Amino acid sequence: MKSFQLEIVTPDKLLDKGEVTYVRCPGMDGLFGVMNGHIPALIGMKTGEIKVTKDGNDLFFATSGGYADISAEKVELLVETAEQADEIDVTRAASARDKAKEHLSKGDVDYIQSKAKLDRAANRLAVANRH
Amino acid sequence: MANLKDIRDRIKSIRNIQQVTKAMKMVAAAKLRKAQERMEQARPYEERLSQVIHSLLPDVDRSLLSLLDVREVKRIAVVVFTSDRGLAGSFNSNIIRRAEEEIKSFGREVTDLICFGRRGRDYFRKRDYSVVKDYADFWSDLNFTHAMEFGEELIELFVSGRIDEVYIIYNWFRSVGTQKIKMERLLPLVYEGEEQSLSERLYEPSKEELVCSLIPRHMNVEMWKYLLESFASEQAARMVAMDNATENAGELIHDLRLEFNKLRQASITKEVLEIISGAEALKVQ
Repeated sequence: MKSFQLEIVTPDKLLDKGEVTYVRCPGMDGLFGVMNGHIPALIGMKTGEIKVTKDGNDLFFATSGGYADISAEKVELLVETAEQADEIDVTRAASARDKAKEHLSKGDVDYIQSKAKLDRAANRLAVANRH
Repeated sequence: MANLKDIRDRIKSIRNIQQVTKAMKMVAAAKLRKAQERMEQARPYEERLSQVIHSLLPDVDRSLLSLLDVREVKRIAVVVFTSDRGLAGSFNSNIIRRAEEEIKSFGREVTDLICFGRRGRDYFRKRDYSVVKDYADFWSDLNFTHAMEFGEELIELFVSGRIDEVYIIYNWFRSVGTQKIKMERLLPLVYEGEEQSLSERLYEPSKEELVCSLIPRHMNVEMWKYLLESFASEQAARMVAMDNATENAGELIHDLRLEFNKLRQASITKEVLEIISGAEALKVQ
């Protein structure tokens, strides 16, 4: 299968994943996959899982969203967070999830914020299970 | 006159203090290096994000973007970045003084405060300023999720209409020797000039929706930059303060040593004199 360049840019690191064959991202309107020869596009991403296929192996990342910039030369994922499945601190994510749940049930803080926090924590846990 | 034991004890205690200040200086230097690395790492992300937003904006109706909304200013929020811990020279006192001046010029009745760091919070609370939000004890494990949380809460304040303008007062890190206090307006956001369009491509979802989702993210990274600037400045200020303290302790030890030796010599001379005069007295008999 033909491969292409993938870069994942976050505020704390620049991950150059090199040559990959497939990327699957959580688009704002649903999952989308990118292979070599995709037309140039700018696609918004929400909280979810990024799957990268490199040398026949699948790598999974938890992200809280951003965008994918697809050009002829490379694919650039600009995301706020990208944690590889085996790097996720499960206990911390679980405690964040429980805290967000508690806030939501009490309704004492802003709903949208707590919901976003809950989504992020639940997503990290789901991706961590991939490992 | 102080006796020999007193001076010896003082030298000992000053030496202990000197060891502590030296260690603090080294810790601050290590943390500063890390903060500088992180500032470096955030740059590509920030640049690309702002470039994409600029390229999308010409085709988007700006009135749809709530974070760019300029309205009549009824309430102002001032965000002040201080540290949790002291012993950083004039780091906290300078920024608090500047914040007080700015609040005075805005009018204290119309200004709400958002405090980062325990120092600022304690100071303004004690003086009955209107502190609407405060965050403390996060500096030690600062990470990007903090910036996201703080950013989201600021957006909430602004979008809900409780606050019409947000100003940031922080220590801008120029070098280890110089940090400058700066005030910048964060909200409403301004995007000006350099509107470059990217090559033709597919947009999904629409350009409007993309911009709406990216602008809050841009604000989060701005927040992250302020946090890092302030953190780096704090560490640099502490490093310089502790370096001075170590040096002063050294000087003090030197002076006390001199005094100690003089005193010791004087007491030896006195003893010798006593023996000699005793012997003289015996001879006369």
